[in-house]
Amino acid sequence: MAVKFRDYYEVLGLPRTATVDEIKRAYRQLARKHHPDLQPAAERVKAAERFKEINEAHEVLSDPVKRARYDALGQQWKGGDDFQPASGGGKAPAEWDASGDVSEFFASLFGRDVGRTGRAGRGGARISFPGNDVEAELPVTLDELLRGGKRRISLDGRQDVEVTIPLGVRDQTVLRLAGQGGAGMGGGPPGDLYLHIRVVGHPRYRVAGDDIEMDLSLAPWQAVLGAAVQVETPDGPVTLTIRPGTQAGRRLRLRDRGLPLSGNGRGDLYALIRIVVPEHPTAAERAAYETLKRESSSPADRPAQ
Amino acid sequence: MTTPIRSPLKIVVYDNSHQGEVCLSSHVLAEAAGITPTRLARLVRLGLIEPIHPGSDEFTAAEALRLKRMLRLHRDLGVNLTGAAIIVDLVARLESLEAQLAALRGRP
Repeated sequence: MAVKFRDYYEVLGLPRTATVDEIKRAYRQLARKHHPDLQPAAERVKAAERFKEINEAHEVLSDPVKRARYDALGQQWKGGDDFQPASGGGKAPAEWDASGDVSEFFASLFGRDVGRTGRAGRGGARISFPGNDVEAELPVTLDELLRGGKRRISLDGRQDVEVTIPLGVRDQTVLRLAGQGGAGMGGGPPGDLYLHIRVVGHPRYRVAGDDIEMDLSLAPWQAVLGAAVQVETPDGPVTLTIRPGTQAGRRLRLRDRGLPLSGNGRGDLYALIRIVVPEHPTAAERAAYETLKRESSSPADRPAQ
Repeated sequence: MTTPIRSPLKIVVYDNSHQGEVCLSSHVLAEAAGITPTRLARLVRLGLIEPIHPGSDEFTAAEALRLKRMLRLHRDLGVNLTGAAIIVDLVARLESLEAQLAALRGRP
């Protein structure tokens, strides 16, 4: 099959006359810049592609035998050309430390595509290497944090995987799924799948460690006189007793109604008191407030104490 | 690497439901990272890898990722493992700062 010819000199930014030292130096510099583990998560996948190219170029050009073989070919081809590999090529030296997959071009040239062509052992050496680890983000709702759950996730070009979300996970918890990463080659074991949990925001509830916080809006008279109010919580409706004289900003604790802990027990639920004033009072309400203003012990022309 | 291994001798069947691991024992961690338990124990003693609690034999899956990154940096760039641990932690800080920055920018 035809593959794209790769210009390994171009990848390393070197002339064809480059010395061994120059190749080593160029590789070191590029590796230092493009190593996937030096990049923040958002750029890691792109960097991994680039690093793979750099590694492959170095792999070929730093080995005199491979370089000679490549150079003999390279005179007829330019980067990006369709390349028809010669038949019968492909011995597989055993010492190569492959830390991932190689390009079709590399495989056609050096016969390393063991996993895909099943040529293992033919060249007198058996090559196998483990599959890549795969990392992905798993958005999880508050409800799933509270009750656990199963999620079907799709990864590029792979069979769907069903994941159980265990109780006790939090934002940024990492789940490891052994053997669910990239396939190994030549009988090598598959890599692992690592899922980074990201908790998606909820309109009513906020997560704070093991606790959940929610706003509880009260009318002024409820806060002053006390009340029994029906409140929606993640566990269903609850009647909360508001004591007379409850100030805005107070946090009422509902014990053991927060997030489940990984062992036993749960965090707490906090209701943060807000006082909401009527924007459009009825005539009767207005009259009542006027009375309150006259009767109040706090002066009308000073801030409330 | 999506093509399955075509070998008549080795048939791997995955059942399709998985309980993700949040915690790994030192034995599983060493295997996941491809190092010997002795080498892992040395990294723990040096404080480069930390169990869930001091003296515990359990590690988070996040720590497994840290360890794998460290080992790759060591292998690919020749930095020693102390240096690699520093790099991994700095990249994590960079990530969290970038996330905070993005959150602040997204705010009206």
